Amino acid sequence: MSTKQTIAVIGATGNMGSNIAKNLSRGNNRVLLFANDKDKVNAVVSEIKSNNASADVEAYECPRTASWEADVIILAVPYQAEKEITAKIKDVANTKIVISIANPLNETYSGLVTSPETSAAEELQKLLPNSKVVKAFNTTFAADFSIPVIDGKQVDAFIAGNDANALETVSALVTTVGFNPIVAGDLSVSRTLENMALLLISLTMKYNYNWLAGFKILHK
Amino acid sequence: MYEVFFQKFNEKVQLTAEEQDFVKQYLTPKKLRKKQYLLQEGDICKHLCLVEKGALKAYVLNETGEEHITAFALEGWTIGDLSSFIKQEPATLNIDALEDCELVLLSKPAHDELLQKIPKYETYFRILMTDAYMALQKRTAYMISLPLEERYKALTDMYPTLVQRVPQHMIASYMGLSPETLSRVRSRITNRK
Repeated sequence: MSTKQTIAVIGATGNMGSNIAKNLSRGNNRVLLFANDKDKVNAVVSEIKSNNASADVEAYECPRTASWEADVIILAVPYQAEKEITAKIKDVANTKIVISIANPLNETYSGLVTSPETSAAEELQKLLPNSKVVKAFNTTFAADFSIPVIDGKQVDAFIAGNDANALETVSALVTTVGFNPIVAGDLSVSRTLENMALLLISLTMKYNYNWLAGFKILHK
Repeated sequence: MYEVFFQKFNEKVQLTAEEQDFVKQYLTPKKLRKKQYLLQEGDICKHLCLVEKGALKAYVLNETGEEHITAFALEGWTIGDLSSFIKQEPATLNIDALEDCELVLLSKPAHDELLQKIPKYETYFRILMTDAYMALQKRTAYMISLPLEERYKALTDMYPTLVQRVPQHMIASYMGLSPETLSRVRSRITNRK
């Protein structure tokens, strides 16, 4: 048995947050959940435990305490909410891996609100200069977490970041969740990854993929 | 969050406020709940750990799964599997929390960078290691040369708070004794008074 990793999921009641929490709690992880709606967080915890009684998962009432206890912090909140939440966790997130899953979409899902020379992940890194921000889980839909193999192919999940050890840790988490991890490059590659998510979302709406779709790099 | 860490640091070598801020960038604040592991045998020890609050124990497991405690750590003490940390090879020690803890962790990359960038960190680490070595030398000598009563008294004199805070069966394990033997040793000491 190896040492458990403690992961805080901030925004654990959303579609993405709750699915990430469910899948991570199947691995050798202690998963701490926070969201503004206490009842909803407790419901997610109960659901995880009813499917897996030995899951080490707990609801937390304070994002700072959860992040203080965590080795890895997953920010599963909308891009617009990041500023407020990072102010609360900045000091306890010092040197820690913080995963940015947000896609900074505009209201009509027709474009990104960030300018082309930056990304949500890079903006998060500015807010948390002493943390190791890694982009992950932004090109995978919530439904993919239950069905990570679509049409016989395991969905690829792209990762971007500047710290080699952090990329390795996040790759292992992506594998635990069920996707095929691909390190795409440094944190600035998040611009491409966030635009890929925009493309996938717009194609899903246009061609009615039923929110079960993902990327797969075909190669020899 | 880092009060005890810097208090211990400054006792060995005084940092300026700027140096303190610089070192702070490398520190990982971590809470650990009672009974949770900081490290399990077979994993790489990724961090050196200073205790801000709480208590931990390090131990090896024998063939029957029995714990043999090799070290404790209370507020202000540093704990880790040193060989595993320095060589980045699998740990032989398990370390878990005896109480809810607040810790300050230093990763190997952070440690290596601080050694390079801050000569005072090198001094701090040298003194930390020298102190630890001297304590270990003393412990080994006591272990092989002193009668049990003297060994127990030396331990209580050196670490009075440890004996109060940690259950006796753990002290027995640390001394390499059965709880029954330690209990007899303690009653012999009491009767003599």
